[in-house]
Amino acid sequence: MQEIQYIGEHLLPGKIGQLAIMLSFSTALLSAAAYFFAVQRRGRPAEAANWLRIGRWSFGLHGLSTFTLIGTMFYIMIQQYYEYQYVQAHVSDDLPMKYIFSAFWEGQEGSFLLWMFWHIVLGALLILSDKKWEAPTLAVLATIQVFIGSMILGVYVGFGDDPMRIGSNPMMLLRDVVDAPIFASADYVSQIGGTGLNPLLQNYWMTIHPPTLFLGFASTAIPFAYAIAALWLNDHKGWLTQGLRWALFSGGILGVGILMGGAWAYEALSFGGYWAWDPVENMSLVPWLILVAGIHTNLIAKATGHSIRSTYIFYVLTFAFILYSTFLTRSGVLGETSVHAFTEMGLERQLIAFVVAFLGLGAFMIAWRYKSVPAPQREEAASSREFWMFIGSLVLLFSGLIITWSTSLPVYNKIMAYFDPDYIGRVITDPIPHYNKYQIWIAIFIGLLSGVSQYLRYREFNFSKYAAKFGLHLGIAIGLSLLMSYLTTLWIDIYAWQYKLLLFFGWFIIVSNLDYLFSMSRGSFKMASATLSHGGFGLMIVGILASGLNQEVISNNLFVMEGLIQGATDEQMRKNVILFKNSPLVMGEYEVTYVSDTVDQFTRTFTVEYKRRDKSGKVVEEFALYPNILYDKTFSKVAASNPSTKHYLGRDIFTHIASLPMVEIDLEFRRQREDSLNYKMHEALLGQTLYFRDTVPLTDQDTFYIKDFQARLLGIDRSPSHHDYHKEQGDLPIGLSMELQRMDDDSVYLIKPVLVLRGQMLYSYPVQINDISTKVRLDEGIFDAVFGREVEMDYQSFTFKQGDRISYNGHQISFSGFNKQPQHENYEPEEGDIAVSAMISVQAKDGSNHLAQPLYLIRNSSPLNLKDEVPALGLHFRFTGIDPKTETVELMIGQADTTERPIPFQVATDSLRSDYIVLEAISFPGINLFWVGSSLMMIGLILGMFLRIRRP
Amino acid sequence: MKKIYIIAILMVAAAIVLLTSAAEDMSTYGNFSDAAAMGNRVKISGQLSKDKEMHYNPERDPNYFSFYMTDAKGEERKVVLLSERPQDFELSEQLVLTGSMKGDEFIATDMLMKCPSKYKDEEVYIKSEVK
Repeated sequence: MQEIQYIGEHLLPGKIGQLAIMLSFSTALLSAAAYFFAVQRRGRPAEAANWLRIGRWSFGLHGLSTFTLIGTMFYIMIQQYYEYQYVQAHVSDDLPMKYIFSAFWEGQEGSFLLWMFWHIVLGALLILSDKKWEAPTLAVLATIQVFIGSMILGVYVGFGDDPMRIGSNPMMLLRDVVDAPIFASADYVSQIGGTGLNPLLQNYWMTIHPPTLFLGFASTAIPFAYAIAALWLNDHKGWLTQGLRWALFSGGILGVGILMGGAWAYEALSFGGYWAWDPVENMSLVPWLILVAGIHTNLIAKATGHSIRSTYIFYVLTFAFILYSTFLTRSGVLGETSVHAFTEMGLERQLIAFVVAFLGLGAFMIAWRYKSVPAPQREEAASSREFWMFIGSLVLLFSGLIITWSTSLPVYNKIMAYFDPDYIGRVITDPIPHYNKYQIWIAIFIGLLSGVSQYLRYREFNFSKYAAKFGLHLGIAIGLSLLMSYLTTLWIDIYAWQYKLLLFFGWFIIVSNLDYLFSMSRGSFKMASATLSHGGFGLMIVGILASGLNQEVISNNLFVMEGLIQGATDEQMRKNVILFKNSPLVMGEYEVTYVSDTVDQFTRTFTVEYKRRDKSGKVVEEFALYPNILYDKTFSKVAASNPSTKHYLGRDIFTHIASLPMVEIDLEFRRQREDSLNYKMHEALLGQTLYFRDTVPLTDQDTFYIKDFQARLLGIDRSPSHHDYHKEQGDLPIGLSMELQRMDDDSVYLIKPVLVLRGQMLYSYPVQINDISTKVRLDEGIFDAVFGREVEMDYQSFTFKQGDRISYNGHQISFSGFNKQPQHENYEPEEGDIAVSAMISVQAKDGSNHLAQPLYLIRNSSPLNLKDEVPALGLHFRFTGIDPKTETVELMIGQADTTERPIPFQVATDSLRSDYIVLEAISFPGINLFWVGSSLMMIGLILGMFLRIRRP
Repeated sequence: MKKIYIIAILMVAAAIVLLTSAAEDMSTYGNFSDAAAMGNRVKISGQLSKDKEMHYNPERDPNYFSFYMTDAKGEERKVVLLSERPQDFELSEQLVLTGSMKGDEFIATDMLMKCPSKYKDEEVYIKSEVK
């Protein structure tokens, strides 16, 4: 086959990128090896120092080449070089630049790079901050980079027809990835466009959520690296301070990343909630839970020397679960159990290897050093704080394992199906109640433990002396919590005893922590961070109960629904209402009206007004929400529906567009629908009233509607207006004012359909009367009816002097002079015009008097005239010439047939209304408690880190 | 024996109890005849019958969308989804419904759709066609 010389490709960035990928991978490998030897040869300081230098330099090079790769990718994306597959898949001409970051990490390769980026940043911090632990921790980190780097290698290993591919290369050319006929043409580059960013992801959350989450992911590698390093060096106490700091940082950032995901789902997606126990959410939560368990055992280890082994285990598990989560979400194994869209990229084996390698490394290191990890001989006392903190950590681990178990069901199914092809996979029928059922007890336990153990002391040896104080504070806390719980139940409905118990423990954590902070720790800063985190957790529990149990779909207007659904019992499921434009509907305590909508490019924003009235009917509150939808590029479907939420201190009102009339969703469907309307022709004289009947078949039943109508034609409008009609020069528009009434309906509708003749084309502007599902348009015959008799008439020429009077068809016509400032409905003055009109008065046969002013115009040196008429008499006048010498004017006068002709129009009575939206509205009470509480948790963690940097 | 071990054993016991009871929450992807026989809530996966009528008229009921689905055993039934008609519905390759049988109809309260991946190889957007 002949090589094609392609035109217009930019191959240089690709070459730089490929080089950067290879360099990034090999320097990570070199760095890992060098740091490894720097540790292994630590007995010989001079050699170790050399290795360390190599490790450091190669890690620096690794960073440099990775940044170069990222920079190159941004360059080709910003330049829109669609010859690159990654650019083609994630960028498009109409993608705003502000979404270029989102587009970068939309794909797997980009998000791997984001992850690597953070590892490099954190690695650099490690090198700078902790020389003592640099070699072993960086050895681990560089090894992790080798694994992630392999995901973007894109090399083939093996021989034969089916070599194994390692990694998916982001710098591939489209023509090397896809086999399409277009690549036969040398200038294909100029013919292709990009797919662009998924519209669902085109919002600022996509810009901030992934980098935060990936920083969280990346930061879990640091406590892991310290744990491995400590086991490696057999120094089990020297790392606890740094490990704790990094773990606190990681817990805070990862937590914020997870919360952002929830906020995104709630604020910008139409999920109608912040947490849905979706596999992807679960698998980012589990590492966080285990990390928090690790933080607690780390604290114990620092304070008492107990629990060092568990700290190792927890940090290793945290990182292993991060990798497992990566495997689950990126391998496509979750398939139909998740709403998140995943694409399989053939990286399954590599991802499994990633998990197995680091879980194996951790397990091996722990097993190897298990015996040498110091553990106090004396058992923790049951009255000591460390004992109960440790139990709490176990409960957290337990929670994580239960979630993992349920979430991993698809993996289990896949394994079973591998051994037994007939195996039928199992699924959780209703995931949300399933997870809630178990996690509620976890939360209760955590509430109990973190409330009570706060009052206990580390290394308790004389509890009996302390017991009275302990009992007093505990008693106060229980009492206050009971009171607060009772007050809460006045506000929100807690209908099951399990939830009441949870509510109590939520308050118990808050109260006991505050009590401890002020009365026992005397405002110690270190304790403040713990209080903040724990108190935040308690607040979050109360918020979850309030917003979860008492969330109320207010868009279920039962009055409207009743009897319409056969067989449906679950009222809860009816979450949508239909809102007709400008027809208020009562929802909950609000009167809701769909007022208007505006289209800007592909976004259509709806204004929905909410009004609340008091008993006397006075409006006491009024606000508008603006949910919007995003059309796809062809206006044939809704690509995304973005909610709009009213935030109160105590609750939120959440609103989103669930659906629209089909004609408003799909432009093509709208055209077809318009074409298929069953228009029937009618005609009537002006002033006449017409009765007609129409039958409409019902779509899914063998029945017909018979409807009677009455129409009255009021008049012809020569310069009509219509909301879709924009006047252009040379248009000949015609409008018909008419009244229409459906006999079973009281309202009489005054409408004015318009027909426009523009050049050789006819443009119809029909009128839709939504309330009676009727559409009216003018028939082209109206031009004949209105203008036809004028076309057929003969003009006679007359010469007038001022004051002359003639008789024409029995009418007395006189020319009474010129009007130098002429006005004419079809005349728009232009610069350089010479215009004058003749003032003609007509005394008709019947004695009535009329005026006409035909216009004479010289524009660009050529004479023009605009006629005028006396419609009642059918008299038409044209002003065709002036003779300045004789001071005479030349007028053409014509007589039209005055007998009226019937005016034709068409009525379709099957034009379904399209002026509505299908709306979902949910009230979330107390949701701010959730946001505040969960944010406090993360702030507490980060604060803890800072306090421990200042004073370790 | 250390107290920790006692507690660990208790937790393992609790885990076993919990996880065995969790089996109740799980089901296999069923079919219409199973659902009719059992009467409780099940998950059914199947394919949309594209030749049969789909009905969604929000003016009459915005929470009523009906269509026909063929389950894994090839049985075709009318399905009523108590929600709006989802976008791209007719493009779906596979449907997973949660709900129960009512008479001859399957009343679904939840539905997941599997749509063709947007990364299909054929799908190279050609500028001239988009215009």
